Amino acid sequence: MSVATQAPFPVSRGLAIALAAAGPVAVGGILAARAHDASPMLAAPAIVFGVVAATGPALYIATAAAGNAPPLAAVIRAFGVALGAFGIALAGLILPAAFLSLSSVSAATTLIATSGTVAIAGYLGLRRLATELKAQSPDAGIRPSLTGGMVFLVWAVATAAIAGRLWWDLAVEVVS
Amino acid sequence: MIAAVDTTPTPAPRPSLGMIDLLLRDREAMLARIRQGADLAAIMRTMIATIAVTMAIVGAALGSYRGGVQIAYAAAKLPLVLLGTAALSAPALSAIGAALGRRSRLTADLALVMSALAFGALLLVACTPLIMLGRSVELDYHRMILAVVAMFAASGGAALRMIWRGVELEAAPGWRTAVVGLCVVFSLVGGQLSWALRPYLLRPRAPEPMFIRDVEDSLFDSIAGSMRSARGIYVRDAAPLGEPAP
Repeated sequence: MSVATQAPFPVSRGLAIALAAAGPVAVGGILAARAHDASPMLAAPAIVFGVVAATGPALYIATAAAGNAPPLAAVIRAFGVALGAFGIALAGLILPAAFLSLSSVSAATTLIATSGTVAIAGYLGLRRLATELKAQSPDAGIRPSLTGGMVFLVWAVATAAIAGRLWWDLAVEVVS
Repeated sequence: MIAAVDTTPTPAPRPSLGMIDLLLRDREAMLARIRQGADLAAIMRTMIATIAVTMAIVGAALGSYRGGVQIAYAAAKLPLVLLGTAALSAPALSAIGAALGRRSRLTADLALVMSALAFGALLLVACTPLIMLGRSVELDYHRMILAVVAMFAASGGAALRMIWRGVELEAAPGWRTAVVGLCVVFSLVGGQLSWALRPYLLRPRAPEPMFIRDVEDSLFDSIAGSMRSARGIYVRDAAPLGEPAP
């Protein structure tokens, strides 16, 4: 049974997307509490949604050109589910990250705890996106192929690297 | 007279004690109850109380190595470490699982984690006579530490096995990642919380302990500092220096 045929989350999809917006605000809030600077609370969600908006179309274009793309609506739906997964993962990891950061006087602990939280949630979001796209493919008459897998892998690495670089620059600048 | 005695109904065990007995004797049945969502609130109450009582006993036993007020301090702090870590970490199991498509329920996951930790805490309290034995034969401090680490490792392993089994039975997508994620978060939070509330086991000649230290570097900063020091790199102004050779 594929994941995509079930209800995607134990909460509504709207709430999951809201968590995807609120989670980065909360992670930014941990940085803000350490640095006494509120800018990460705006910058963190901007990085998440900005990078997804900037790189998402590239995935559709590349997979469509390679003959491996589900219909546009299905891809948009998959992105929505992946963002929701990212938000839900962040919701579960935010408390431990806040505790680790606030129970130490070290800025390095804050940097590692917040960055690790975002990295794990991002990985889970990307993994869910891959699962959703894979589950949509048979409905669209598409067979999984090595080319499609490579396209997704390259896109995922590039997206994670861009987001990671933006996040790291923000976090180091604010905390140091 | 005899007939009257024979027909007297045996009083049923209190539900909480029955639940602890079930946890010790038949964990598969316990996991089934949690999976069915039967009486989760009662399970949670019983498990939290079990952890609080058993860890207080273990803490008191550890504190007895130093004696005096440390017995009360360790008895108060050790339950806080385990319950606090569970409360902060258990949502990670639900969240990571849900992100990967697992049909997780926060209450059931919390009950599973608390039950597993209660099982581990019961195993630890069963080791208390060994701690007391170490105290009574005046086992040296470092051997005592190693013995306690071994007891905690064995109990933690048993608790982890129960969580693994409980999530495995669902056969849901992403269950392995969810359990591994829980373990990572639990280790980080548990390490830091126990570090922040230390000490528990003190040398008998140690000066009067304090209940909680001021907020300072994290456990991980301390480990990193020790690794630097081991390589001869000191960042403090007054690093301890060896005596010059004659």
